[in-house]
Amino acid sequence: MAAPAYPGWVTRWVSGQWRNKKRPPALDLCTVEAVSMKSQTPEVSGCLSPLEATCITEMSVMMACWKQNDFNDAPCAEEIRMFYDCVAKAEKERKNQNEDTLSSRGNLPSSKVNKLLRRFPQITRYV
Amino acid sequence: RLRAWLPRIMPVRWSRYNPSYLEPEVKKESYQKPLEELTDEEREQMELKAVRPIKAAPPILSSSVFSDPMISKFTNMMMKSGNKVLARSLMSQTLEAIKRKQLEKYHKAPENEKETIECNPYVIFHQALKNCQPIIGLSNITKGGKTYQVPVPLTDNRKRFLAMKWLITECRENKHRRTMMPEKLSQELLLAFNNEGPVIKKKHVLHKMAEANRAYAHFRWW
Repeated sequence: MAAPAYPGWVTRWVSGQWRNKKRPPALDLCTVEAVSMKSQTPEVSGCLSPLEATCITEMSVMMACWKQNDFNDAPCAEEIRMFYDCVAKAEKERKNQNEDTLSSRGNLPSSKVNKLLRRFPQITRYV
Repeated sequence: RLRAWLPRIMPVRWSRYNPSYLEPEVKKESYQKPLEELTDEEREQMELKAVRPIKAAPPILSSSVFSDPMISKFTNMMMKSGNKVLARSLMSQTLEAIKRKQLEKYHKAPENEKETIECNPYVIFHQALKNCQPIIGLSNITKGGKTYQVPVPLTDNRKRFLAMKWLITECRENKHRRTMMPEKLSQELLLAFNNEGPVIKKKHVLHKMAEANRAYAHFRWW
Protein backbone atom coordinates (compact mmCIF):
# COMPACT_ATOMS: atom_id res chain seq x y z
CA MET A 1 0.00 0.00 0.00
CA ALA A 2 1.33 3.46 -0.86
CA ALA A 3 1.32 6.32 1.65
CA PRO A 4 -2.07 6.06 3.39
CA ALA A 5 -4.29 9.01 2.48
CA TYR A 6 -6.41 10.10 5.42
CA PRO A 7 -9.12 12.76 5.12
CA GLY A 8 -8.03 16.34 5.82
CA TRP A 9 -9.64 16.63 9.24
CA VAL A 10 -7.68 13.63 10.52
CA THR A 11 -4.30 15.24 9.91
CA ARG A 12 -5.48 18.56 11.33
CA TRP A 13 -6.85 16.90 14.45
CA VAL A 14 -3.70 14.86 14.95
CA SER A 15 -1.43 17.86 14.60
CA GLY A 16 -3.37 19.60 17.35
CA GLN A 17 -4.28 22.54 15.15
CA TRP A 18 -7.83 22.54 16.46
CA ARG A 19 -6.73 23.00 20.02
CA ASN A 20 -4.59 26.10 19.48
CA LYS A 21 -6.33 29.34 20.33
CA LYS A 22 -4.56 32.52 21.26
CA ARG A 23 -4.79 32.82 25.01
CA PRO A 24 -2.84 34.95 27.43
CA PRO A 25 -0.41 32.69 29.29
CA ALA A 26 -1.39 31.58 32.79
CA LEU A 27 1.15 32.93 35.27
CA ASP A 28 1.56 32.55 39.01
CA LEU A 29 -0.79 35.10 40.44
CA CYS A 30 1.06 38.27 41.21
CA THR A 31 0.22 39.85 44.51
CA VAL A 32 0.28 43.59 45.06
CA GLU A 33 3.38 43.37 47.26
CA ALA A 34 5.31 41.57 44.53
CA VAL A 35 4.49 44.31 42.06
CA SER A 36 5.60 47.01 44.51
CA MET A 37 8.74 45.00 45.28
CA LYS A 38 9.48 44.86 41.59
CA SER A 39 9.16 48.60 41.26
CA GLN A 40 11.76 49.07 44.04
CA THR A 41 14.30 46.52 42.89
CA PRO A 42 14.96 45.73 39.24
CA GLU A 43 15.46 42.06 40.07
CA VAL A 44 12.32 40.04 39.96
CA SER A 45 12.00 36.84 41.89
CA GLY A 46 9.17 34.52 41.18
CA CYS A 47 6.32 36.52 39.87
CA LEU A 48 6.06 38.41 36.61
CA SER A 49 4.17 41.67 36.39
CA PRO A 50 0.71 41.56 34.80
CA LEU A 51 1.02 41.43 31.07
CA GLU A 52 0.31 44.55 29.11
CA ALA A 53 0.66 45.59 25.50
CA THR A 54 4.01 47.20 24.67
CA CYS A 55 4.83 50.09 22.34
CA ILE A 56 1.37 51.59 22.32
CA THR A 57 2.61 55.18 22.54
CA GLU A 58 4.95 54.72 19.58
CA MET A 59 2.16 53.11 17.63
CA SER A 60 -0.26 55.94 18.32
CA VAL A 61 2.36 58.54 17.37
CA MET A 62 2.97 56.69 14.13
CA MET A 63 -0.73 56.46 13.38
CA ALA A 64 -1.20 60.19 14.01
CA CYS A 65 1.61 60.85 11.54
CA TRP A 66 -0.09 58.54 9.04
CA LYS A 67 -3.38 60.34 9.39
CA GLN A 68 -1.71 63.65 8.65
CA ASN A 69 0.26 62.41 5.65
CA ASP A 70 -2.39 60.23 4.02
CA PHE A 71 -0.68 56.95 5.00
CA ASN A 72 2.50 57.68 3.05
CA ASP A 73 5.56 56.07 4.53
CA ALA A 74 8.19 58.51 3.34
CA PRO A 75 7.32 61.51 5.56
CA CYS A 76 6.77 59.25 8.59
CA ALA A 77 10.13 57.49 8.42
CA GLU A 78 11.30 58.78 11.82
CA GLU A 79 8.18 57.58 13.67
CA ILE A 80 8.31 54.23 11.92
CA ARG A 81 11.95 53.81 12.93
CA MET A 82 11.08 54.61 16.55
CA PHE A 83 8.28 52.06 16.47
CA TYR A 84 10.61 49.38 15.12
CA ASP A 85 13.19 50.18 17.82
CA CYS A 86 10.57 49.95 20.53
CA VAL A 87 9.32 46.62 19.16
CA ALA A 88 12.84 45.17 19.01
CA LYS A 89 13.54 46.31 22.58
CA ALA A 90 10.28 44.82 23.87
CA GLU A 91 11.02 41.55 22.11
CA LYS A 92 14.48 41.36 23.66
CA GLU A 93 13.09 42.12 27.10
CA ARG A 94 10.47 39.45 26.71
CA LYS A 95 13.14 36.93 25.78
CA ASN A 96 15.25 37.84 28.81
CA GLN A 97 12.25 37.77 31.08
CA ASN A 98 11.31 34.29 29.93
CA GLU A 99 14.17 32.72 31.85
CA ASP A 100 13.09 30.23 34.39
CA THR A 101 13.10 31.84 37.78
CA LEU A 102 12.26 30.05 40.99
CA SER A 103 8.78 30.55 42.32
CA SER A 104 8.21 32.23 45.69
CA ARG A 105 8.46 28.89 47.49
CA GLY A 106 11.85 28.13 45.99
CA ASN A 107 10.93 25.27 43.66
CA LEU A 108 10.31 25.10 39.94
CA PRO A 109 6.94 23.89 38.65
CA SER A 110 7.10 20.54 36.92
CA SER A 111 6.29 21.91 33.44
CA LYS A 112 9.36 24.21 33.55
CA VAL A 113 11.52 21.33 34.79
CA ASN A 114 10.29 19.18 31.91
CA LYS A 115 11.06 21.92 29.37
CA LEU A 116 14.60 22.35 30.74
CA LEU A 117 15.27 18.64 30.70
CA ARG A 118 14.06 18.44 27.12
CA ARG A 119 16.35 21.27 26.08
CA PHE A 120 19.42 19.70 27.73
CA PRO A 121 18.90 15.96 27.53
CA GLN A 122 21.13 13.28 29.00
CA ILE A 123 23.74 12.50 26.35
CA THR A 124 23.93 8.73 26.24
CA ARG A 125 26.49 8.37 23.47
CA TYR A 126 29.04 10.54 21.81
CA VAL A 127 29.29 10.37 18.06
CA ARG B 1 5.66 17.13 21.30
CA LEU B 2 5.82 14.67 18.46
CA ARG B 3 3.91 11.46 18.68
CA ALA B 4 5.40 8.24 17.38
CA TRP B 5 2.63 7.61 14.88
CA LEU B 6 2.63 11.13 13.43
CA PRO B 7 4.79 10.22 10.41
CA ARG B 8 2.32 7.52 9.48
CA ILE B 9 -0.61 9.90 9.35
CA MET B 10 0.86 13.09 7.97
CA PRO B 11 4.12 13.62 6.07
CA VAL B 12 6.71 15.18 8.38
CA ARG B 13 9.86 16.88 7.23
CA TRP B 14 12.65 15.53 9.41
CA SER B 15 16.33 15.35 8.58
CA ARG B 16 18.18 12.04 8.76
CA TYR B 17 21.48 13.69 9.62
CA ASN B 18 23.27 12.87 12.85
CA PRO B 19 23.15 15.92 15.15
CA SER B 20 26.94 16.17 14.97
CA TYR B 21 26.80 17.27 11.32
CA LEU B 22 27.47 20.98 10.75
CA GLU B 23 25.95 23.33 8.19
CA PRO B 24 28.06 24.03 5.06
CA GLU B 25 29.62 27.48 4.64
CA VAL B 26 29.00 28.72 1.11
CA LYS B 27 30.32 32.30 1.10
CA LYS B 28 33.70 32.58 -0.64
CA GLU B 29 34.74 35.65 1.37
CA SER B 30 34.89 33.71 4.61
CA TYR B 31 37.55 31.38 3.19
CA GLN B 32 39.70 34.16 1.75
CA LYS B 33 40.32 35.90 5.08
CA PRO B 34 43.93 35.45 6.30
CA LEU B 35 44.41 33.53 9.56
CA GLU B 36 45.39 36.53 11.68
CA GLU B 37 42.18 38.42 11.07
CA LEU B 38 39.95 35.75 12.56
CA THR B 39 38.56 36.29 16.01
CA ASP B 40 38.71 33.60 18.70
CA GLU B 41 35.22 32.33 17.99
CA GLU B 42 35.99 31.91 14.33
CA ARG B 43 39.18 30.02 15.13
CA GLU B 44 37.21 27.67 17.35
CA GLN B 45 34.64 27.24 14.60
CA MET B 46 37.39 26.35 12.12
CA GLU B 47 38.87 23.80 14.49
CA LEU B 48 35.45 22.28 15.04
CA LYS B 49 34.92 22.04 11.30
CA ALA B 50 38.17 20.12 10.92
CA VAL B 51 36.84 17.41 13.20
CA ARG B 52 33.11 17.17 12.55
CA PRO B 53 31.40 15.98 9.35
CA ILE B 54 29.49 18.54 7.27
CA LYS B 55 26.05 18.22 5.66
CA ALA B 56 25.71 18.25 1.89
CA ALA B 57 24.88 21.69 0.50
CA PRO B 58 21.30 21.81 -0.84
CA PRO B 59 20.89 22.95 -4.46
CA ILE B 60 19.18 26.15 -3.26
CA LEU B 61 22.37 27.44 -1.63
CA SER B 62 24.83 28.88 -4.10
CA SER B 63 28.05 30.85 -3.79
CA SER B 64 27.69 32.78 -7.03
CA VAL B 65 27.47 36.56 -7.04
CA PHE B 66 24.22 36.41 -8.97
CA SER B 67 22.29 34.47 -6.38
CA ASP B 68 20.06 36.44 -4.06
CA PRO B 69 18.15 34.89 -1.13
CA MET B 70 15.13 37.16 -1.62
CA ILE B 71 14.86 36.33 -5.29
CA SER B 72 15.13 32.59 -4.61
CA LYS B 73 12.45 32.91 -1.92
CA PHE B 74 10.21 34.72 -4.39
CA THR B 75 10.79 32.06 -7.07
CA ASN B 76 9.93 29.34 -4.57
CA MET B 77 6.69 31.08 -3.76
CA MET B 78 5.85 31.42 -7.44
CA MET B 79 6.59 27.75 -8.04
CA LYS B 80 3.62 25.46 -8.61
CA SER B 81 3.76 21.69 -8.00
CA GLY B 82 7.52 21.61 -7.86
CA ASN B 83 8.15 23.12 -11.30
CA LYS B 84 11.24 25.08 -10.30
CA VAL B 85 12.49 25.32 -13.90
CA LEU B 86 9.38 27.21 -14.96
CA ALA B 87 9.39 29.46 -11.91
CA ARG B 88 13.06 30.38 -12.42
CA SER B 89 12.55 31.10 -16.10
CA LEU B 90 9.55 33.31 -15.25
CA MET B 91 11.66 35.18 -12.70
CA SER B 92 14.51 35.79 -15.15
CA GLN B 93 12.04 36.90 -17.83
CA THR B 94 10.51 39.32 -15.30
CA LEU B 95 13.90 40.83 -14.48
CA GLU B 96 14.67 41.12 -18.17
CA ALA B 97 11.32 42.82 -18.83
CA ILE B 98 11.99 45.31 -16.03
CA LYS B 99 15.43 46.09 -17.48
CA ARG B 100 14.01 46.57 -20.95
CA LYS B 101 11.28 48.93 -19.77
CA GLN B 102 13.70 50.97 -17.71
CA LEU B 103 16.21 51.18 -20.58
CA GLU B 104 13.47 52.36 -22.89
CA LYS B 105 12.59 55.10 -20.41
CA TYR B 106 16.24 55.94 -19.97
CA HIS B 107 16.91 56.43 -23.66
CA LYS B 108 13.79 58.51 -24.18
CA ALA B 109 14.39 60.76 -21.18
CA PRO B 110 16.12 64.18 -21.51
CA GLU B 111 19.70 64.56 -20.27
CA ASN B 112 18.99 65.97 -16.83
CA GLU B 113 16.55 63.20 -15.89
CA LYS B 114 18.75 60.32 -17.02
CA GLU B 115 20.39 59.92 -13.63
CA THR B 116 17.15 59.58 -11.70
CA ILE B 117 16.00 56.52 -13.68
CA GLU B 118 17.00 53.29 -11.93
CA CYS B 119 17.98 50.55 -14.36
CA ASN B 120 19.17 47.74 -12.10
CA PRO B 121 16.29 45.23 -11.87
CA TYR B 122 17.55 43.81 -8.57
CA VAL B 123 17.49 47.23 -6.95
CA ILE B 124 13.97 47.79 -8.28
CA PHE B 125 12.86 44.41 -6.97
CA HIS B 126 14.22 45.01 -3.48
CA GLN B 127 12.87 48.53 -3.25
CA ALA B 128 9.44 47.46 -4.51
CA LEU B 129 9.30 44.66 -1.93
CA LYS B 130 10.33 47.06 0.80
CA ASN B 131 7.61 49.49 -0.24
CA CYS B 132 5.01 46.71 -0.16
CA GLN B 133 5.85 45.50 3.32
CA PRO B 134 3.15 46.34 5.89
CA ILE B 135 4.33 47.88 9.15
CA ILE B 136 1.51 46.74 11.41
CA GLY B 137 -0.64 43.68 11.06
CA LEU B 138 -3.99 42.65 12.45
CA SER B 139 -4.50 39.52 14.47
CA ASN B 140 -7.66 37.90 15.80
CA ILE B 141 -7.87 37.96 19.58
CA THR B 142 -10.88 36.52 21.36
CA LYS B 143 -11.97 38.33 24.49
CA GLY B 144 -15.26 37.85 26.28
CA GLY B 145 -16.65 35.66 23.53
CA LYS B 146 -16.06 38.16 20.72
CA THR B 147 -13.13 38.17 18.29
CA TYR B 148 -11.49 41.53 17.69
CA GLN B 149 -8.98 42.54 15.05
CA VAL B 150 -6.10 43.87 17.12
CA PRO B 151 -3.20 45.86 15.61
CA VAL B 152 -0.01 43.95 16.26
CA PRO B 153 3.64 44.54 15.24
CA LEU B 154 4.87 41.99 12.70
CA THR B 155 8.23 40.22 12.49
CA ASP B 156 10.54 40.82 9.53
CA ASN B 157 9.90 37.39 8.06
CA ARG B 158 6.16 37.88 8.23
CA LYS B 159 6.40 41.28 6.52
CA ARG B 160 8.51 39.88 3.68
CA PHE B 161 6.20 36.93 3.27
CA LEU B 162 3.09 39.14 3.16
CA ALA B 163 4.65 41.48 0.59
CA MET B 164 5.64 38.59 -1.69
CA LYS B 165 2.31 36.86 -1.25
CA TRP B 166 0.34 39.96 -2.11
CA LEU B 167 2.41 40.56 -5.22
CA ILE B 168 1.97 37.01 -6.46
CA THR B 169 -1.78 36.80 -5.81
CA GLU B 170 -2.30 40.19 -7.40
CA CYS B 171 -0.45 39.10 -10.53
CA ARG B 172 -2.24 35.79 -10.73
CA GLU B 173 -5.76 37.05 -10.35
CA ASN B 174 -6.08 40.55 -11.75
CA LYS B 175 -4.70 40.06 -15.20
CA HIS B 176 -6.07 39.61 -18.65
CA ARG B 177 -6.28 36.04 -19.84
CA ARG B 178 -3.59 36.53 -22.46
CA THR B 179 -0.96 38.56 -20.58
CA MET B 180 2.05 36.55 -19.54
CA MET B 181 3.15 36.45 -15.91
CA PRO B 182 6.57 38.12 -16.40
CA GLU B 183 4.95 41.08 -18.12
CA LYS B 184 2.32 41.54 -15.43
CA LEU B 185 4.87 41.05 -12.63
CA SER B 186 7.26 43.60 -14.12
CA GLN B 187 4.37 46.05 -14.37
CA GLU B 188 3.44 45.51 -10.72
CA LEU B 189 7.03 45.76 -9.54
CA LEU B 190 7.56 49.04 -11.33
CA LEU B 191 4.33 50.44 -9.89
CA ALA B 192 5.32 49.31 -6.41
CA PHE B 193 8.75 50.87 -6.88
CA ASN B 194 7.00 54.21 -7.37
CA ASN B 195 4.61 53.63 -4.46
CA GLU B 196 1.57 53.23 -6.68
CA GLY B 197 -0.44 50.23 -7.77
CA PRO B 198 -2.88 47.76 -6.19
CA VAL B 199 -0.40 46.10 -3.82
CA ILE B 200 0.48 49.39 -2.17
CA LYS B 201 -3.23 50.13 -1.98
CA LYS B 202 -3.77 46.84 -0.18
CA LYS B 203 -1.04 47.74 2.28
CA HIS B 204 -2.68 51.13 2.89
CA VAL B 205 -6.04 49.43 3.46
CA LEU B 206 -4.42 47.24 6.11
CA HIS B 207 -2.85 50.26 7.76
CA LYS B 208 -6.19 52.08 7.75
CA MET B 209 -7.93 49.15 9.40
CA ALA B 210 -5.20 48.96 12.02
CA GLU B 211 -5.59 52.67 12.64
CA ALA B 212 -9.35 52.32 12.97
CA ASN B 213 -8.92 49.52 15.50
CA ARG B 214 -6.22 51.20 17.51
CA ALA B 215 -8.51 51.28 20.54
CA TYR B 216 -8.23 47.49 20.79
CA ALA B 217 -4.45 47.63 20.98
CA HIS B 218 -4.62 47.06 24.73
CA PHE B 219 -6.00 43.58 24.21
CA ARG B 220 -2.52 42.40 23.36
CA TRP B 221 -0.53 40.75 26.12
CA TRP B 222 2.86 40.81 24.50
